[in-house]
Amino acid sequence: MVRSALVAPLLVCLLSSVAVAQSPTPSILIARQLAEAQQISVGAIVRLASKADGSDAREFVVAGIYEPTPDPARLGSIPNEVRLHLPDLLALTREAGEIAGAEHVSSINVALVHPSEASTFAADVNARLPGVLAMTAANAAGSAGPFLVIERFHRAIAIVTIAAATVFLLALTIMLVDERRETVGVLRLIGLPSRRILTQVLIEGLLVAAAGTMFGLVLAALSQQLINAFFQWRYDTALVFVRITREVALTATAIAVPLGTAATVIASWALLRRNALRLARR
Amino acid sequence: MKAVGFAWRTLVRQPARAVLAVLGVAAAGALLLDMLLLSNGLVASMRDLLERTGWDVRVTRTGDAPRRGPRITSVAATLEAMSALSGVRSAVAVRAVDAAVETAAHTPLVSLLQGASGGAPPPWTVLRGTDARERGEVVLNESASAALEAEPGREVTVRASCATGDEALPPVQLRITGIAAFPFEIAREHMLGATLDTLAVVCGGGEAADQADIILVQSTGDPSAAAAAITAMRPDLRAVTNDDMVGRLEQNEFTYFRQISTVLTTVTLSFAVLLITVLITVSVNQRLGEIAALRALGFSRSRVVADVLAESALIVALGGLASLPLGMLMARWLDGILKGIPGIPAAMHFFVYEESTLALHIALLATTALVAALYPMRIVSRLPIAATLRDEVTE
Repeated sequence: MVRSALVAPLLVCLLSSVAVAQSPTPSILIARQLAEAQQISVGAIVRLASKADGSDAREFVVAGIYEPTPDPARLGSIPNEVRLHLPDLLALTREAGEIAGAEHVSSINVALVHPSEASTFAADVNARLPGVLAMTAANAAGSAGPFLVIERFHRAIAIVTIAAATVFLLALTIMLVDERRETVGVLRLIGLPSRRILTQVLIEGLLVAAAGTMFGLVLAALSQQLINAFFQWRYDTALVFVRITREVALTATAIAVPLGTAATVIASWALLRRNALRLARR
Repeated sequence: MKAVGFAWRTLVRQPARAVLAVLGVAAAGALLLDMLLLSNGLVASMRDLLERTGWDVRVTRTGDAPRRGPRITSVAATLEAMSALSGVRSAVAVRAVDAAVETAAHTPLVSLLQGASGGAPPPWTVLRGTDARERGEVVLNESASAALEAEPGREVTVRASCATGDEALPPVQLRITGIAAFPFEIAREHMLGATLDTLAVVCGGGEAADQADIILVQSTGDPSAAAAAITAMRPDLRAVTNDDMVGRLEQNEFTYFRQISTVLTTVTLSFAVLLITVLITVSVNQRLGEIAALRALGFSRSRVVADVLAESALIVALGGLASLPLGMLMARWLDGILKGIPGIPAAMHFFVYEESTLALHIALLATTALVAALYPMRIVSRLPIAATLRDEVTE
């Protein structure tokens, strides 16, 4: 059932980097941000120590440079990290007098052959291994908590923005409809019923709202690239900040089109209730 | 003033559109105010919180947040040496450990037990009862008191976790002497406070009483000098002032809110400028004949331009006034949402009112009124009187 296991990396103290070498020296991977900051390239020899004073440092060869998995909970902090093979890490951090094999690891990531059995597997581990807490990846993603709150915050901002936009839209449509009062008056005088004019206004409002929504979605799609590029540069992360998904586009459309259409109809309705002669009168 | 009166009559003549325009500006202005409050709110709140505690220098081993770095050892000797420094008025060492609190009627309550050294006021404020100054005494925060249904005079059993998660320390009975407020307590967090001696007992004795996560220092008036003196005395310790801490938070942890605030402020202002421009432009276009007639009657070009500017200013001013209470209400609502972020002290706020923020809000709205009026003002100033009147008659 268990296919692979990977132990979470431990941040250790980077002491120095020296010339390129080919030797049985244990290998490590180094985070891109750290490699850039310290100008370390693949093949370089670095010395790592788990103690702040640098005692008991060991040499490692940089086998590769990796992009750290974006972590929303660590946004703003520079991931000065290296990844070691587990035996090398344990050897580096083992306290004097500690027996090899008695060390702790903080977590074990498990990839299942059948991911759908994650809950059953976690329950099985919890029942069989007291003192070990197994969680599905979805449950373990508690670190995303702050970002769920920020999502709620953004939703609240969106509600206020929609409210402000609706009020402005209504004001604008009232003015635009008022500009056409004479046309509407003449149409009614030549015999077109109010219902017919309202239908025409409804279709017109629908078309304008649909066109506006399309324009808004294209603008959002273009601006998402800009926003992501800016924040990824600002925080030096691969994290995606804005993503216009199909659901987001559908939600925006579901709000914008009826809202735009309704604003046009409401503004026109007030006009159509007036006397046709008064509307046509100059 | 004449222009303002004229603009007022223009607005009153079309009450529906005027009210909607003002409401739109009020909503946009409220959002703008909130974004301005947010841009510096968390930093201002943190500064206020740090200053309210009365401690102006914080000493740790590595500069990391308490419990994230190694502990300070030989605390008693360190405190004695610090107290001898001329720039130090008082100092208190604090250590925190995880603790499970048990009572006869309840399942263990996960909480944080803080131990503070004597000789200086503890880093909490007693609300009811008395402080825990003797060994075996403890104070609870309101949250722990409510969860345990425990009041001063009762006893609680505490099992602490002081070194690693694997240890099994014996339970210790502690007597509750009071209910206290902890400045950095997180919403719904259960906290206990005791002396370092009591914490040492809970931690099974040994050197626990001589270790601390942080030493809080009150300077005699110059925190920077006190921090420098402490660092000179103990180069292995990091002493930071409140200003240093706020500066660090400003540059790292809280930058996201400043960025998002800047983005939303820009979007809100652009949105407001665009919509007010459209509203006034359409309004002006509908009144071109009327404006041309006024010009023909003797109104100067600058006067009709001033009328348009006054109309924009009136809409923005009325909307801006309405935006203040609306913005403050919204700020409370949004603050409540954001305080759901784990680890945020209950006393901290994301939206903090400052006079400078209000001044900036007014300045931005005034600029909005001016910029939004530029295009319609241009239309009015270039209006050909005779041609416009002729068009109006022949249409």
